[in-house]
Amino acid sequence: MASLTGVFAANHGPLMAREWEAVDEVRRNAVTAAFAEIRRRLSAAGTDVLIVVSPDHWVNFFIDNLPSVCIGVGKTHDGPPEPWLMGFPYREIPGHPDLAMHIVQQALQSDFEPSVSHHLALDHGFCIPLWKIGLDRLPAIVPMIVNGIEPPFPSVRRCYAWGGLLARSIASYPERLNVAILATGGMSHSIGEPTMGRVDEGFDRECIAHLESGDAEALLEFLNRRMTATGNGTEEMRNWVVAHGAAGGRGFEAIYYAPIPEWYVGCGFAAWNVVPANRKTRPG
Amino acid sequence: MEQRDYWLSKLFFDLQNPTLAAEYLDDRDRILDRYPFKPEVRRAILEDDVAFLYPLVNPYLLRFYFFVAGMTDQMFIERLSNLGKIDPPGANRG
Repeated sequence: MASLTGVFAANHGPLMAREWEAVDEVRRNAVTAAFAEIRRRLSAAGTDVLIVVSPDHWVNFFIDNLPSVCIGVGKTHDGPPEPWLMGFPYREIPGHPDLAMHIVQQALQSDFEPSVSHHLALDHGFCIPLWKIGLDRLPAIVPMIVNGIEPPFPSVRRCYAWGGLLARSIASYPERLNVAILATGGMSHSIGEPTMGRVDEGFDRECIAHLESGDAEALLEFLNRRMTATGNGTEEMRNWVVAHGAAGGRGFEAIYYAPIPEWYVGCGFAAWNVVPANRKTRPG
Repeated sequence: MEQRDYWLSKLFFDLQNPTLAAEYLDDRDRILDRYPFKPEVRRAILEDDVAFLYPLVNPYLLRFYFFVAGMTDQMFIERLSNLGKIDPPGANRG
């Protein structure tokens, strides 16, 4: 059986790539350290597959066809198309079609209706964290696209349920694999709106407190009440909710948070302390 | 929920192609002729009228477009801020 060996969240703000120097050295070092901590934990867990939960920023989908949730089942995925991410070291990213399709089948049997893609391009939402985490060997990536870009959006309750479904799907996958989940994006931010550039530190810290509390109902109620008004980018907290659901709503640990208005984002990094069952250990 | 202007959205989406974006910057009218815009939408595009375009298109695409068109973030934010208090789009509660 596969094992859920780690659950994480990381910021994916584009200005981390385009305007890295705009932020002072102290906060840059802290962001670098946060990515390094995720790298350390993913490496220590012997991660074979990483399920990355992110929105699609108008790369694969348009208003012609806009899925709420899409699972990438391809053998490979294309690297980021953004011209300012041409330095990303992978033009082709390995997938894990068997696990991805298993998740899709488990979802359908559980009355979820994901969209499926056999060939995705993974934009900055996926690739900035993968780049900055900087694993020596990129694990197979199963992309899970959650629409947080253009309404109507999946409900936060459904996103939480999706997390539980991911955990059950991993647990029921017959091959011995160490599987981790990485949610990207958030926390508060606003892009292309009259509030563009505003970061709501109060919202972010309250959100962290709800995640730490383990009271999932309170978290969902808080997000339903506050998320949309806090900025359109904040809708990406759905990805964190998927991660939270995968961890059973427990074990949240904030690795780093700072409001970084220079990058237009409440910049958060987190881990959920899960107890892996059936974790595969490496010989020697 | 916001009603999007399809062809405006399509133009902004298509301009993610760097070749098309370069052609657009070279000759806006030639590219705009390919899309059946309403006259007032076309005029707003040519006049960089952020306020007019804002409610018609996804904010990420709006931001991307003006980035490609060469407007600085500072100027873009200033023009958005001048819109005053507007409810953010997509005010459906998740």
